[in-house]
Amino acid sequence: MKISLNWLKDYVTPGISVEKLAHRLTMAGLEVEKISSVGDDTIFELEITPNRPDCLNMLGMARETAAILKKPRRIPKVKKRVWPKQKCAIVIDDKKACSRYIGTLIEGVSIKSSDEKIIKHLMTLGQRPVNNVVDITNFCLMETGQPLHAFDYDKLAGGKIIVRRARKGEKIVTIDDVERELDPSILVIADEKRAVAIAGVMGGKATEVTGATKNILLESAYFDPVLIRRASRKVGLSSDSSYRFERGVDYRTVEGGAARAVDLILESAGGKITKRADVIVARKKSARTRITISKDTINARIGASLTSVQYKDILKRLDFNVTGSKTGAFTIVPPSFREDIKAAEDIVEEVARIVGYDNLPLSFPLIKASTIPPDPTRLARRKMRELFLAQGFDEVITYTMINRKGLEMSNQGDLQGVEIFNPLTQDQEIMRPSMLPSLLSVVLSNANRGQKNIRFFETGKIYTAKGETDTLGVIMTGLREDDWRCVKKEDADYYDLKGAFEQAFDSLGIEKKRIRVQSQQEEFLADGQSSAVFVDGKKVGVIGKVGEDVLDKWDIKQKNVLFAEIDMEGAYKQKKPVVRYKPVSEFPAISRDISLAVQANITAHDIEEAIRKTVEGEKQVVLTDLRFIEKYEGDQIAKDQRGLIFSLTYQSCQSRTLRDEEVTEAHEKVCDVLVRDLGVIRR
Amino acid sequence: MTFDYETEEQNSRRKIAEAADAKTLEAVRVEYLGRKGMLAAMYANLATLSKEQKPKEGQRINKFRGVVTQLIEEKKKTITAKARQDSQKQLDVTIPGVARLVGHAHVLTQTIDEICSIFEQMGFAVQEGPEIETEFNNFTALNIPEDHPSRDGFDTFYLKKPDPTDKKVNLLLRSQTSPVQIRIMKEHKPPLAFVVPGKVYRPDAVDASHSFMFHQIEGLLVDKDVKFSDLKGLLTVFLKRLFGREIKMRFRPHFFPFTEPSAEVDISCYICGGKGCSVCGRKGWLEIMGCGMVHPQVFKAVGYPKGKYTGLAFGLGVERIAMLKHGIHDIRLFFENDNRFLEQF
Repeated sequence: MKISLNWLKDYVTPGISVEKLAHRLTMAGLEVEKISSVGDDTIFELEITPNRPDCLNMLGMARETAAILKKPRRIPKVKKRVWPKQKCAIVIDDKKACSRYIGTLIEGVSIKSSDEKIIKHLMTLGQRPVNNVVDITNFCLMETGQPLHAFDYDKLAGGKIIVRRARKGEKIVTIDDVERELDPSILVIADEKRAVAIAGVMGGKATEVTGATKNILLESAYFDPVLIRRASRKVGLSSDSSYRFERGVDYRTVEGGAARAVDLILESAGGKITKRADVIVARKKSARTRITISKDTINARIGASLTSVQYKDILKRLDFNVTGSKTGAFTIVPPSFREDIKAAEDIVEEVARIVGYDNLPLSFPLIKASTIPPDPTRLARRKMRELFLAQGFDEVITYTMINRKGLEMSNQGDLQGVEIFNPLTQDQEIMRPSMLPSLLSVVLSNANRGQKNIRFFETGKIYTAKGETDTLGVIMTGLREDDWRCVKKEDADYYDLKGAFEQAFDSLGIEKKRIRVQSQQEEFLADGQSSAVFVDGKKVGVIGKVGEDVLDKWDIKQKNVLFAEIDMEGAYKQKKPVVRYKPVSEFPAISRDISLAVQANITAHDIEEAIRKTVEGEKQVVLTDLRFIEKYEGDQIAKDQRGLIFSLTYQSCQSRTLRDEEVTEAHEKVCDVLVRDLGVIRR
Repeated sequence: MTFDYETEEQNSRRKIAEAADAKTLEAVRVEYLGRKGMLAAMYANLATLSKEQKPKEGQRINKFRGVVTQLIEEKKKTITAKARQDSQKQLDVTIPGVARLVGHAHVLTQTIDEICSIFEQMGFAVQEGPEIETEFNNFTALNIPEDHPSRDGFDTFYLKKPDPTDKKVNLLLRSQTSPVQIRIMKEHKPPLAFVVPGKVYRPDAVDASHSFMFHQIEGLLVDKDVKFSDLKGLLTVFLKRLFGREIKMRFRPHFFPFTEPSAEVDISCYICGGKGCSVCGRKGWLEIMGCGMVHPQVFKAVGYPKGKYTGLAFGLGVERIAMLKHGIHDIRLFFENDNRFLEQF
């Protein structure tokens, strides 16, 4: 909200520099965001918090200024009048929406331009002067905070005011010359025939006060804040009136604001009050809030040591009614315009902000040790992040809300996600059920900027009807390693990404034998390069190469894009077992390689299993290491076969050196089993 | 037989100096120091001399041997050094080494970790909560009235489907991390001290300073005698640890439904030091976080006995802190994930 300093000085004399005044207001919770000058005047742009509608006018700001600076106030006097007996015709149709309506009919006004002073004040705040009556309604709104509207009485059909909901399809041309379509969610002021104003938002063109106007009907009312807010948003129109109604106008100012405007209108435009009606639907909050609090409580809460007299003085300057300080406890009744004051804490804040938070002492809290354990998912996520960072992956954070189209482009159209009721754009349609679309979009945007070697991971969430799941997503494309010594540059492939996971699982203490990776074709992964990962027999995720059709749909030019998605909770929530030390053998181990020609239907896993099982049956030797050495496909081997080499390390079961023939015996047995059971050929 | 030591010494000096490689030098060495060399001959000759001549001659021979030995040693070093230098196998040590590259944690993660660790060191626990929340946890329990504008679809994302376990409960994407306060207080009794980092969502149109998804960190301390002065003390320590001991700060009254009294904390602008510049909008101050004393209605909502506890709460926007700290001018950069952005941190 903007205020003019010259206008403020009509009611209070700050007696300090502009900068100091801005600082004092800011430090009392009325933040001055910008200071600018217009002619000889200064404008403050204030950020008034939503709990303080009472400060959205000059008198409110004068009250605060006077209280902060301990200065007297000059409040304009309103004439006491005897109102005519005759009533205006006012009907309140929607009683919930309008709890009070004062209509005052003034006949025989002369419309001309306003007084110099009013014009100057309004123009400083950027308002265009119209005529004396309209200007006075605007002036009083700014002064008292009560929105007012003057109708040309002779243009009101039937001379009647009806407060009702708009009819479906009803239209109105507002005073800004725009035709607006209304609906029953919007409250209007109507005459017998049509809507003449959008209640609390803006008046209608047809009944506005012009140079030809003779008689006016002055409206001062209280409208429901929520209804006005919704109407204002619906018609896309925010006015000084709607802004104040939304935040809550003081029920009492409906009368005071009207009276002030009547004084000024009669003074400037002449005329005579011929009719008046004050329709009160419901007397709002007749029982006012009473709060009891002692000086000691206030001091304890803020950690200060002020006296009763000081507290009482502060509250009185803010127009609070304070009694009974002698017993140590005050009874406080806040003014009607302070609906935000409901409890003792609110009183604490009032005195604290006037004293100034910066003037209050500072202490250091005692923080007690807590038994609440740290969040386990967070720990797992941190650990996983460290492991992937250590392997050269950069961390990304992507939007968790995505476009359904992204799923379809990723061959994941069957996934549901969690639908958003009110997305701003299509890109926020759903909460993602997979990380693939997010990560592909990152690959695309980087590739478009010439960034081709990408190793990214994200530890985020995916969302399904069952809830949200902590997930690790990894995407990788481009060259395997940045090693200038390697002349042949190769693209990263499936095994690079699988290796990263094996390393991470190992560091997390998940032993190799608990992990199983097996072929499982996913729609979005390339044929034959798609696998599922199991830990303790439970599926925790997928690793594979993104299908070419998916890459085409995303317009990603790279051919080898690898993707993995692992459910963090499933994979890592398990407790890491306490490691028991196994003595390291002092006796030498013996390694033997085994080179096999293997048919397509036999996996490396099958062979390893068979080797392990066979050696387990041996009495003299144990297998201390089983290592995969090489894979060969080419001219040296039959077309439907591939060459696999494993290295087996044997050691004695007892504490002694193994004899060569013992190893040979065991090793030959292993070979025989492989040939017999798996049909492999020794090479 | 006598020797002209002076001449021989001069000769040896010349020969050693002239030796250009290890092989020639070795020949010179043999000539003088070898088993059949000149010095051996000199010592042999010594035996033939009289008792009176022996010491003097012996001294002279020893001196000669010393000179030759030293000269040869020195020359040897020079020749070796030169040979190393001349070698064609010298590595170009200025070529970069080869290492497995270490990745970069996202700057927002780094900021969250830095902030959380300051609080962890002070005894706070780090807790998390779900992003999909109920209206009760996100609004009602936090003393936000039924008709409050922030509950509108303009300010909060709602889900299409209600809670599957209770069809009457509407679900939303949390618009703040505060609902986690409610979850933890419902489950645990004070004393409590924890911070909560996480994603939050608001339907803001995306521009340089707005994002519909962003990160917050929320903190709560609840005990029997927590005062407003504790809030000032705690956050003073925190902000000085985060931004440096030299920063100035101020607590400005503000409004939040879930705290009373409430405040916003400003720090002196790190660019202009408080003089006023474009970063701080000529104010000299930067708004950094919101805070306050926990509203009694919040304690009531989680079922704490009336008047038994007091508490302080605070919250800050992670993106804002990261933008200020690293001079990032556009919030969208965080979520674009350009390689060249990520690798700067």
